[in-house]
Amino acid sequence: MLARETQNKAMHWLGRQLSNHENPTTWLDPLIARINPMWVQAYTPARVEQVVQETADTRTFVLRPARRWGGFRAGQHVNICTEIDGIRRNRTFSLSSSPLLWETQGLVTLTIKRLPGGLVTNWLHDHVEPGTVIGLGEAFGEFLIPDPAQPVLFIAGGSGITPILSQLETMAAQDYRAPVTLLYFVRSDRDVIAGEKLRALASRYPALTLEIIHSDDGDVPRILNGEDLDKVPGLRGRQVYLCGPGGLMDLAGDLLHQRGVSEDRIHSTFFAPPAPAQLQDTEVGGQVTFARSDVRVGSEGDANLLEIAEAAGLTPQYGCRMGICHQCSCRKTSGTVINRLTGEVSGPGEENVQLCISVPRGPVSIDV
Amino acid sequence: MKKLNETQLQELEQDLNAIRDEVLADLGERDAQYIRRIIRLHRTLEIGGRVLMPFGFIPPLFVAATASLGIAKILENMEIGHNVMHGQYDWMNDPDLHSQTYEWDTVCTGDSWRRTHNYEHHTYTNVIGKDRDYGYAVLRLSDEEQWKPRHSLQFINYILLSVLFQWGVGLHELESEKLHRREIRWRDKLPFLKEFARKGGRQAFKDYIFFPLLTLPVAPIVLAGNVGANLIRNLWSSTVIFCGHFTQDAETFSEEECEGESKGHWYLRQLTGSSNFTGGRWLHILSGHLSYQIEHHVFPDLPAHRYPEISEKVQAVCRKHGIHYNTGSFAKQYGTVLNRIFRYSLPDGIRARLEGGEAPQAI
Repeated sequence: MLARETQNKAMHWLGRQLSNHENPTTWLDPLIARINPMWVQAYTPARVEQVVQETADTRTFVLRPARRWGGFRAGQHVNICTEIDGIRRNRTFSLSSSPLLWETQGLVTLTIKRLPGGLVTNWLHDHVEPGTVIGLGEAFGEFLIPDPAQPVLFIAGGSGITPILSQLETMAAQDYRAPVTLLYFVRSDRDVIAGEKLRALASRYPALTLEIIHSDDGDVPRILNGEDLDKVPGLRGRQVYLCGPGGLMDLAGDLLHQRGVSEDRIHSTFFAPPAPAQLQDTEVGGQVTFARSDVRVGSEGDANLLEIAEAAGLTPQYGCRMGICHQCSCRKTSGTVINRLTGEVSGPGEENVQLCISVPRGPVSIDV
Repeated sequence: MKKLNETQLQELEQDLNAIRDEVLADLGERDAQYIRRIIRLHRTLEIGGRVLMPFGFIPPLFVAATASLGIAKILENMEIGHNVMHGQYDWMNDPDLHSQTYEWDTVCTGDSWRRTHNYEHHTYTNVIGKDRDYGYAVLRLSDEEQWKPRHSLQFINYILLSVLFQWGVGLHELESEKLHRREIRWRDKLPFLKEFARKGGRQAFKDYIFFPLLTLPVAPIVLAGNVGANLIRNLWSSTVIFCGHFTQDAETFSEEECEGESKGHWYLRQLTGSSNFTGGRWLHILSGHLSYQIEHHVFPDLPAHRYPEISEKVQAVCRKHGIHYNTGSFAKQYGTVLNRIFRYSLPDGIRARLEGGEAPQAI
């Protein structure tokens, strides 16, 4: 959940008695949202101050979260929520600004690329303008700069640069005393996100070696190769951070292993949900994680989540088993499911599903 | 019950599914705005009622405050709580409107309601012996239950049940009739009783202790107003709910005819076992759109404010399949409910003579 708990236990208890709400602070939200959306309690509201066009398909959203927001460390991400056609959508994005900007000016930035067919990223590009309020959760993630300072190698691809922008700016501001190299892969010059900012950073922060590589300029794609890594001084002594498309991350992992960089020095963070594959109706099933019970099982065919849970020895609440009574509704925290009745495919984010009519498509995590 | 063969039942299922799919495909902004508007109205009325109540020593303000709080409770129970808990707004993905975690402003816990109402009543609608909502184990309303002397006073029981409706609903899952017949033991019901005491205690604390004490000098007035508001809600919700299944033509079913039934048969049972009443827009809203009980029973998880919009289509499906669509004015439908409660309180012989027909075979 995106909401923060109230601190005062007695008031919280009383609020629950009076409002019948588990989180009584949200009881007045529907009224308050009308008066001032920045007072909503269900999440930390953040007002969009400015929208900056980075490339043809990437924008940076400058946000001013309500002051109660807990802040973040460079490299972390946040869940944002926004309502699109009546449906609350939650998605995770990396914070691209330095924590200093939050501490000094109360601002944070998200740099977001349009995903082809992506519901939320496209909506953000098409509908968000200065003044729009979106919801923010607390920051999380372990993609953090080593402390104390150690030599660092960043390998980024496309919009995977976003958490690294935050880290580099923080390092420059701290005058981080260790060599830092960034290998940044983009299709072409037009696709460089925050190019000016990166070049300005490199010139004022001498520890940074910046290399922007255009993969599509020549006839043959110019991908990451062994030479790129061999040029990095003291490669084996570096902490390596990977953020980019799956192909780049896998390749980088292999090349680093070949060069003897140990596993515990390689850090990667997720970058984007896998592109929606065109699956046949028969290609369903996948790894199902029942998070609260700490149970993980594989499933094949069109077994629904309720059957899968029961086969795994769990006893989730259920009723009609035909999609009527919603007794088995619970939260899906990630992954895609198909509604057996409608054939409709869910989004990848956190939402409610009815177990008895939901068939997993690929890995799914359920709060059961 | 109207008999349809398997092919006809399949066709019925497809016809009704088509209506459902059309609404599902159209869910969005409008539905979210509707329920939020009702929630805003509820919050405003509840706060207004609570703030005004201490000034209840001025009679018109007492009436206004009590009505305001009573209507707030009605809106919260009928149009928000009942409908949210059916999963009508789960698709909005708003944690505050999630069917499985919603808790409402009445004695019955959300969990108990979800078990007894969403599952038992909506799955086994009007199946005598399976649907414990049919007569609430207090009233005899069908020939399938044999007359016993205690039934002769059931009209008094009905009035008591209406006045204390939230407590009756709260205790429904106790299954007192099964305890009485020793089919279950008190020990089995301890977890339920604990939950009941917790929630009942919470509701009584709020309305009968906390708010009166908060305004100590006028505590009796606040207490009286809060009792009044709960009473208004109790009488209204009981009346609406009784109009849903206990009207003249609402049918009942036996366990045998429902064994291993198809979805089409389930649909047929919902159509013939439920009854609507007509009225203005606010009558529908205050009834939580249970005035469209037929539509509600066929599509319990479609947002209720959609029922008036799809009613024409449901009626067309009923006409096509020759199924009686049971509706009438609120007064007429409620009249048949009172009549039914009264008639079934009489021994079969007397009732038959009153109705001028043959006494039905005792079961």
